[in-house]
Amino acid sequence: MDQLDEMLLELKDSSELMIDLAYSSLLYNNKEIAEEVILMEEMLDELANDIQRQAIARAMQDRDEGKAFTVIKLAAAVEEISDAAMQIAMVTIHDDEPHPVIRLSIKDADTTITLAEIKPGSDLIGKSLGKMRLASQSGMWVVAVKRDRKYLYGPEKNAVLELGDVVISRGPPDAEKYFQDLCSGEERLEEP
Amino acid sequence: MDKYDLAHATVREILTEMKDISEIMVDLAYASIMFDSEEIAEEVQNLEEDMEELSKSIRTKAMLSARTHKDAAKLSSLLEVAAASRRISNAAGDIVKLMECEVDKRPFLTFILREAEEKIKRLVLADASDMVGRQIGDLGVESETGMRIIAIKRGKRWIYDPEEENKLKAGDTLIVRGTDDGFDVLRSFANGEEKWPVYPDEEEEED
Repeated sequence: MDQLDEMLLELKDSSELMIDLAYSSLLYNNKEIAEEVILMEEMLDELANDIQRQAIARAMQDRDEGKAFTVIKLAAAVEEISDAAMQIAMVTIHDDEPHPVIRLSIKDADTTITLAEIKPGSDLIGKSLGKMRLASQSGMWVVAVKRDRKYLYGPEKNAVLELGDVVISRGPPDAEKYFQDLCSGEERLEEP
Repeated sequence: MDKYDLAHATVREILTEMKDISEIMVDLAYASIMFDSEEIAEEVQNLEEDMEELSKSIRTKAMLSARTHKDAAKLSSLLEVAAASRRISNAAGDIVKLMECEVDKRPFLTFILREAEEKIKRLVLADASDMVGRQIGDLGVESETGMRIIAIKRGKRWIYDPEEENKLKAGDTLIVRGTDDGFDVLRSFANGEEKWPVYPDEEEEED
């Protein structure tokens, strides 16, 4: 992958994280997470601009407008997704308390968001997300971790969970309970 | 996907539906590019039309249900969330429009999508797999493997965003989204190498 490809990939992955964070902010009426979405949106705006500029520069150099056209179109579409995430986050920021139906709707969806604290005795303590294959084991994808007062957004595979972390994750409603129980220590991770 | 009865659906149901559709559309849009599938792209366009209907319907219903100024203010932010879902679906629609670009200008996209954090992949269900004949929801495919089935190709037919009640059949091509290791786990079940786990003490969850 060259630099332009990597930038596009980052744009795509970040736009999806933003959607998850935006819904998390709504569900938990969490203005801090909503603010992060706004910040990310600004960063992605810049990133999308850079991508589009580079694509044009390259097209001029290689005399190949086809690829540049595709890149520019895709970057614009993905940026639109990040704008949508910001639109959701704005609701969290502007409302004292979002409409209760919004929360119910998120909870009813095929993909929902859940939050759990890592309690003593949890199997998740001290292991990295990638190593314990948390996503495939639990069906839940971690979108943010709150440690002390700080948030870690979109943690990497090598991020290690600690006692007391509050983990926000996304997945199917039927995976929620197992995930909660893993965090509380009531359930064990399966040996790989 | 459920054919919902829009006339009787509640604001809550429509908002849920809009969230679901917007997300499956993004997955399908990337899948169409990844597997160079006009058919999947067409489905995304169909869903975009459904979204428009849902969007109109939720606005009308929300307006009718506002009784006080406070109601109206809260409902207007609910409509913002609905509008954001619609925006996501429009973006998915824009992504599939890339299918109209010359084919040889797109391979790099497939290449990029292969490196994404969550990937879209496909696999075929073998005769030997014990997933055959069972319902997706009954298996709990996503909670067990972290892989979401976004579409199934059965013979010439496509099933998009399959329902929980959908029974899997041998020879089905499953288009799935998730992590690499989730895919490996699912593949070992799908080709019959591993038995689908059974949890004897599983209890029915309460709603």
